[in-house]
Amino acid sequence: MKIDCGSYPLMGGYDELLEAPGKPRDGAGGLCDYFAELPADELEARHHAVDAAIMAAGITFTVYSEAGNIDRAWPFDVVPRIIDKLEWDHIEAGLKQRLKALNCFIDDIYHAQTIVRDGVFPAEVLADSKNFRAACVGANPPFGVWAHICGTDLVRDGDGTVYVLEDNLRVPSGVSYMLENRQLMKRLFPELFARYDVLPVDDYTAQLYDTLAALSPREDERPEIAVLTPGVFNSAYFEHSYLAQQMGAHLVEGPDLVVLDDDCVYMKTIEGLTRLDVIYRRIDDDFIDPEVFRADSALGVPGLMRAWKAGKVGIANAPGAGVADDKVVYAYVPEMIRYYLGEDAILPNVPSYLCMNEADREYVLANLDKLVVKPANESGGYGMLVGPKSTAEEQAIFADLIRANPRNYMAQPTLSLSTVPTLCDGAIEPRHVDLRPFILQARDMYVTHGGLTRVALRRGSLVVNSSQGGGSKDTWIIQGDASC
Amino acid sequence: MLARVAENLYWMARYLERAEDTARLINAATMMLMDMPRGASFGWEDLLRVVGLDEDFHQHYDEASETAVMSFLIQDERNPSSIFACVRHARENTRTFREVLPRESWEWVNELYLYTSTHKSSALDRRKRIEVLTEIIRRRQAVVGLLSGTMSRDEAFQFMRLGRNIERADMTTRVLDVSYAINLPFQDSQYHDLIWMSVLQALSAHQMYRRHVSVHAKGHKVLAFLLNDIQFPRSVRHCLHEIQFALDELPGVEPMRRLQGMLNLVDGADYRVLAKNGLHEFCDDIQARLADLNTVIGETYFRAAHPQKMSQSLFNLV
Repeated sequence: MKIDCGSYPLMGGYDELLEAPGKPRDGAGGLCDYFAELPADELEARHHAVDAAIMAAGITFTVYSEAGNIDRAWPFDVVPRIIDKLEWDHIEAGLKQRLKALNCFIDDIYHAQTIVRDGVFPAEVLADSKNFRAACVGANPPFGVWAHICGTDLVRDGDGTVYVLEDNLRVPSGVSYMLENRQLMKRLFPELFARYDVLPVDDYTAQLYDTLAALSPREDERPEIAVLTPGVFNSAYFEHSYLAQQMGAHLVEGPDLVVLDDDCVYMKTIEGLTRLDVIYRRIDDDFIDPEVFRADSALGVPGLMRAWKAGKVGIANAPGAGVADDKVVYAYVPEMIRYYLGEDAILPNVPSYLCMNEADREYVLANLDKLVVKPANESGGYGMLVGPKSTAEEQAIFADLIRANPRNYMAQPTLSLSTVPTLCDGAIEPRHVDLRPFILQARDMYVTHGGLTRVALRRGSLVVNSSQGGGSKDTWIIQGDASC
Repeated sequence: MLARVAENLYWMARYLERAEDTARLINAATMMLMDMPRGASFGWEDLLRVVGLDEDFHQHYDEASETAVMSFLIQDERNPSSIFACVRHARENTRTFREVLPRESWEWVNELYLYTSTHKSSALDRRKRIEVLTEIIRRRQAVVGLLSGTMSRDEAFQFMRLGRNIERADMTTRVLDVSYAINLPFQDSQYHDLIWMSVLQALSAHQMYRRHVSVHAKGHKVLAFLLNDIQFPRSVRHCLHEIQFALDELPGVEPMRRLQGMLNLVDGADYRVLAKNGLHEFCDDIQARLADLNTVIGETYFRAAHPQKMSQSLFNLV
């Protein structure tokens, strides 16, 4: 079996590598040539080598329905996705602009709420927000930045336009897989990297370290930084330990920490208690401090909010940052950009219908078979209705849900997500993808070179979430074409 | 360093050491049984007694047949000291502190686990056994070498060093006890030498013993070598020194005090006398002191990780 660009069964939408059968896009020629020249058994052998390497490295992800199994190998596809540097520069600028505005928004929401008073953002959306944390009102995190790490999902529609699908501002995961994917590709296809100028991605952990270090309350010392994980049974545990390892940070669980009367956070070490300066928490707001939020949480640290509000510890992302991670709030981001930055949004939103607006709601209810309906506060692809793939019964259930709680639902047209050639059971076929770049903000801003390309491995499927069995690809930002 | 992480590192090193030592012991026993004169009473049951698992074994099996004993010691997860259970625990522990170890160590421990998991049942067969167990030893040694060559001698390293050497010293005393378990049907010095040589082999010590002590395996010389030699890495004395070096790098005084007592014990023993009688009691004493040291280490370093209780009940050292 070979990757033969000529017989590649394009699906009619936008393909990231091929314009038409046998016609690679600019920049993708070298890659197509390479795979066409690679003997079938060689490709197969490397594919197996990838699987073996993933197993050996223990790159895993847990799917919650597979109870008791904490080892699901990370599904990785060997054909990379290519994005030209010029297009990427444009996307990068759009991502920075977006996060900057989102942080202005969060800071505003927890202070004067001018955007609400000026009538740009509706008060009722805020009033119904599940992720607004009253305990955070008036807090002043460094630089006025709340969301330090953002994973923004991008999709490309049939006409080639790149849209922002959502901003993940709570505990976005996936960056370790982006880094691992590159390692795997370098190990298995070293000669490809000789043909292309691929922008490196492994700067991320150093940038993340700097972002976190900037939040330290003790400026003159090397900060003690820890990644706070819910523990080994969390689906993203691999990533938590990976990032801690790459940054030389501690990997801590709630019970490893204690807040004393001086409002400082301490780690329980072999020598007693050691002060901790910055926490990269991978636990939802709800669980981080049982004194303030869920009292039954065993994952958090009693007193953590007190320490944070007193400025004795940096927390990333700041508690309460999730208020902007809401699929209804999302619809207002272009307005936020205009309001706070006085600019037009560089990257467009997917057109969105907010069920809380009567006209939108009527439209959504009448077109459930065509739209994708999403609950405002879920992540990981849970609780969604994909209209064209749904039954009449499922649509009826969603109609009731929407009528009962319109604020909690929004809908978007079903985009024809772009495809990338993917190795499926020995044949190369198009599979739908999205892209999750990661954006950092503290004193400075940083965007990963590319991001995590997620693939819906089932034919025709649009669900790319790793928690729902999606896979991933290496993503290359390249300068110029190396095909000749 | 975090108390929880320190504790996991300590146990991870113990688990891996125990897996390797058990593999070496089984390999040596498999070879030794072929050399035994007919009528000698050493058998698989005795092997279980050496590792202190005879009672546990009989909770699950009736007869100590070769297959049953091998299954219990190599792959049975109901036995927390089986090679597979140790490797699996070590791997689960390693998963919780990948951030303190060089990156490949997780991969290599994971590969050791995958190999053991795949091949454990073929090790039940005598013909494949030595090959599979040797590969497990090799892969575990690769992990040791990797850490030795790529890891700073930081606290994390010292906790692994502690775990490794406490476990190893314990195993050495247990294997020495084999001589106590064997009853020969006749008094023949040729076979006495054979038993002591087998003891050396079970600890991979025969070559160094020959080189540094004697070609003849005389009881008191073997005992002095395995208990009080400074240079041989599996001798109890050497392990105690390693523990001492590790404790030197860590805070706390009580563990060092307990250690000193043990050093005095092996230093002051009369090995000619011990070779004739009292060896079993002597080994028991060291094992009890190692268990005590284990407890004190837990109280000194890991207590913060356990607000209520302080124990890892999987291993019963006494």
